[in-house]
Amino acid sequence: MSVLNELEKIKEEGQNEISDASSLEGLESARVSFLGKKGKVTTILKSLGDLSSEERPAIGKKANEVRQFMENIINKRKKELENEVLKRKLEEEVIDITLPGKRSPAGKRHLITQIIDEITDVFIGLGYKVAEGPEVETEYYNFDALNTPVDHPARSLMDTLYTQKDGVLLRTHTSPVQVRVMKETLPPVYIIAPGKAYRKDVPDPSHSPMFHQVEGLAVDKNITFGDLKGTLEAFAKQIFGADREVRLRPHFFPFTEPSVEVDVSCIMCNGKGCRVCGGVGWLEILGAGMVDPNVLNEVGYDPEEVSGFAFGMGVERIAMLKYGVNDIRLFYENDLRFLEQF
Amino acid sequence: MRVSLNWLKDYVDFNMSVEELVERLNLSGTAVESVRYLGKGLENIVVGQIRKIEPHPNADKLVVCQVDAGVEEDITIVCGAKNMKKGDKVPVALVDTVLPNGIKIKKAKLRGVESWGMMCSEIELNLGEDTSGLMILDSNLKVGEKLGKALNLEDVVLELEITPNRPDCMGMIGVAREVAAITGGELKKPAIEIEEANELANDFAGVEIMDADLCPRYVARIIKDVKIGPSPQWFQKRLKAVGLRPINNIVDITNYVMWETSQPLHAFDYEKLKDGKIIVRRAGNDETILTLDDMERQLNDSMLVIADSSGPVALAGVMGGASSEVSESTTTILLESAHFKPTNIMRTSRGLGLISESSLRFERGTDPNGVVFAANRAAQLMAEFADGKVLKGLIDVYPKIINPRTMKLRVNRVNKILGTDLPAGEVDKILESLEIEASKAEQDNQLNVLIPTFRPDLEREIDLVEEIGRIYGYNRIQSTLPESSGKQGGLSLSQKIEKRIKNSLISSGFWETINYSFVTPNFYDKIRLNKEHPLATYISLKNPLSEDQSVLRTTLIPGLLDVVKRNVNRNIYNVQVFEMGRVFRPVSEKELPDELLMVGGAATGSWSEGQWFGKEQPIDFFSIKGAIESLLDSLGIEDWFLQRALHPTFHPGKCAELFINSDVAGILGEVHPKVNTAYEFPNKVVVFEFFVDVLVSHTKSITRFSEIPRYPGISLDVSLIVDEKVSNEQIIKVVRTTGGKLLKEVRLFDLYTGKNIPTGKKSLAYSLTYRAADRTLTDEEVMRVQERVIAGLEKNLGAEIRVS
Ligand SMILES: [Zn+2]
Repeated sequence: MSVLNELEKIKEEGQNEISDASSLEGLESARVSFLGKKGKVTTILKSLGDLSSEERPAIGKKANEVRQFMENIINKRKKELENEVLKRKLEEEVIDITLPGKRSPAGKRHLITQIIDEITDVFIGLGYKVAEGPEVETEYYNFDALNTPVDHPARSLMDTLYTQKDGVLLRTHTSPVQVRVMKETLPPVYIIAPGKAYRKDVPDPSHSPMFHQVEGLAVDKNITFGDLKGTLEAFAKQIFGADREVRLRPHFFPFTEPSVEVDVSCIMCNGKGCRVCGGVGWLEILGAGMVDPNVLNEVGYDPEEVSGFAFGMGVERIAMLKYGVNDIRLFYENDLRFLEQF
Repeated sequence: MRVSLNWLKDYVDFNMSVEELVERLNLSGTAVESVRYLGKGLENIVVGQIRKIEPHPNADKLVVCQVDAGVEEDITIVCGAKNMKKGDKVPVALVDTVLPNGIKIKKAKLRGVESWGMMCSEIELNLGEDTSGLMILDSNLKVGEKLGKALNLEDVVLELEITPNRPDCMGMIGVAREVAAITGGELKKPAIEIEEANELANDFAGVEIMDADLCPRYVARIIKDVKIGPSPQWFQKRLKAVGLRPINNIVDITNYVMWETSQPLHAFDYEKLKDGKIIVRRAGNDETILTLDDMERQLNDSMLVIADSSGPVALAGVMGGASSEVSESTTTILLESAHFKPTNIMRTSRGLGLISESSLRFERGTDPNGVVFAANRAAQLMAEFADGKVLKGLIDVYPKIINPRTMKLRVNRVNKILGTDLPAGEVDKILESLEIEASKAEQDNQLNVLIPTFRPDLEREIDLVEEIGRIYGYNRIQSTLPESSGKQGGLSLSQKIEKRIKNSLISSGFWETINYSFVTPNFYDKIRLNKEHPLATYISLKNPLSEDQSVLRTTLIPGLLDVVKRNVNRNIYNVQVFEMGRVFRPVSEKELPDELLMVGGAATGSWSEGQWFGKEQPIDFFSIKGAIESLLDSLGIEDWFLQRALHPTFHPGKCAELFINSDVAGILGEVHPKVNTAYEFPNKVVVFEFFVDVLVSHTKSITRFSEIPRYPGISLDVSLIVDEKVSNEQIIKVVRTTGGKLLKEVRLFDLYTGKNIPTGKKSLAYSLTYRAADRTLTDEEVMRVQERVIAGLEKNLGAEIRVS
């Protein structure tokens, strides 16, 4: 058999073996057996020197062709096999994506804090600062300075928690902050005062002896009742939704005149009437009014020069309406299963 | 205040649906609490007549009646009431009728006897409050007729919430005035025509006011020859509709006129007043009176009484006395229409726990100039319904005349406060609609206003502004936002830092809680503080809701432990919570306590319970320390350190104080095993509590950028064995001082005691990273420093270096 024939045979043999190789290892051993140091093609190439000068060019050319050819198909087969290996590996690596995720522990703000932050953000956007004041207050700031008559029932031991010290009480609303701020600063004043307040209410689903209020106050030249209305509308739409309607009902508070109670159209029924709103289609959310001239005088402002409005809202009530919480006491039990919900 | 709309129509015409009227009242400040439709649901109730009453064969408390209800045959009805007799006419609900309370009448077997309907009481038909028995109807009614029609029942009763500043609206005329103002209707007050007898009232009786401060005015009329009896049906119906119980014509008239005018009246049996003399005076401390409710009341000299020459006959403004009560034999009435000082009536009424329709009105303030109208109105009705002879003249003692107030109203001021543009004419019109007289003043755009005495709430110009606003309609006022005068909103720096503190703790796995500021007075006991501990000095409440909530907290820790406890009791064992809130520390020389904002936390269990991907991480001292490190990191606080501390609440070996610079920022540690036992915690609990102001004052609000290293660092490990007493901090200190400038980081990555380590020793392994800012370090350079570090550890701490 001539060498050329032998090469042709080796080529055919190699082609079969390479394409039959089913693994990278098999492919490698096929490569070694043809192109390795002792491989069939290599052996022929090595023996070229032994050939006559007439035979050498043709056989050399053919042998190199065969080597080239085999290298090519080996590389091609190698890629195929590598892809197969990868494919198999990827298949093996399929995971159960329904297993629970690996969470790092994280808590949340209390719902009351969330609501206060939300309200605060609205008023910061409207140009207000956040003011604070003591929770243990004097009767003067809590009642007197706010134009509350001496015999007003709110002052009684039935309604207000007093400390052992005469004239010192737990503030019954955040309104004394108004007075403190006005006494310390000159108008214009634009503040809100979120914080705790206390009343002598026996705890039940809708009463808590401690609760949170957000108080608001704007005093400036030319503040009008229209400004109060516009401000509260902006607030209600941001907190309760853009399609809320707001209505004002005249009311009576000692420290504002005129005074109003403010309703928003019911968030559950959109004003049609449901159980949440007691069928009236409106939910009372806050009390407000124009700052009484007596209060302005008390803090040394001139009611002829400046006017203002004030409002106050119960944070728990807003949280309960917005999130459907049905018992105010849940806010202070701090059961994790409650806290986790919001 | 209950208002019957049928009755209200006597005083004002309004032509709108009930719903619209309610809406307008609500929006003008007269809150409508409820609307009751009388006669509603009575469409199928008929007038029946009892033909026969027989005992029930099987039940003593029931009877079996045969009732003619206008259908072909008499029907059998089993009944439990006692107040009826044969021949009575009663309301009957036949089978399938639905009562106003929603109950559907069905055929029923009661103790073996079939009953084909029900005879009804007032309350079952929503016609009154009487629950004592069946409603016995007028014998003239036609059997089988629909009850609503027979009784002419259709009426609507509004329950109004009258704010304390509006005493005038405690009467129908006051409410009618409001309705007239908001609907544009006309107010019609009842016309008074009295045919007076020739005898003079003044010859019959005398009035003497001893305390004009408490009783500025007392008016009396004498009505002779009255015939006591029931008042007319229509009159009684009105009283019942508003919840008043008809008694007799005289008492009914005083109640009716009070409801009409808001002026309480009292009718005395003149014959029972000794010497026909009325003396208005303070009670003596030794006096008592038997009031109409049959209670003996102890009086004192703060209370005002109406007396005759023998003693008190009425508790002024609150309740009449039994001794001078109008009875069936009464023939002559002394009618009282007086004005009393509101605060005094309130004090007497509250003091005795005796609240009446009369006291409710007097304590809000009645109209001193409305007493004559009310007296005349009642006298007129007594003549009409009781055939009384009204004697000539009023006895009117008015030592302290109270005149209507005058004031100026600037129309510009109205518009400036309301944000409106109302002309003077419109302002005037609104005031007139409320019977407030206004006339143009000399000054431009000003009105002279005369405030009627029935409106004691209108004291200042601003009060009139409110009247104009609410009658004009707040919802008609244009909404605006305040014109900016350079206001700038935002949180203060410390408020922002407070938020950062919360956010850091939340991202470390803590849930925010809010706890009551008041705690039990033995809170300090539970956390093992003795009475002398500064935190055991607290503010006590004078009138706490309960002993458990009677003092103000001086630390957040007990509240947080209670939260852990509450959750653990509910089988939630992994609890990580924090609170930011105030504590209250009394300061002896100051009126108010110091209110310190604290942030505290408590954690127990593990961060994550055993999971499919790994083991749980039980919570210990270092869990909290890690959270605190993250917190300090997020605030940019670097110069902090922990110092071992002893505190009764904490485990003595697992407690530290946090210092920032030289300030004590707070404390952290594992709670003492005894505290743990006291709370019955199943696992160890770690807590911390810091002063927010210390954290805030050391917070770096601006962090300067520092160059990111350009050249790679080299990390080398060192393992060493040292005495157990040697602390991590000591080792780090030696490493840092010997490592010099090139040493950038030291990180402990292994800690081991036990097998292969001699007793009393521990093995630690650190990774040291060296780096220079300006070049790549060579191995030789780094090795030189590392050898210095090793030598330092050996020399200073007697460390045995383990080569790995
Ligand atoms: Zn609704």
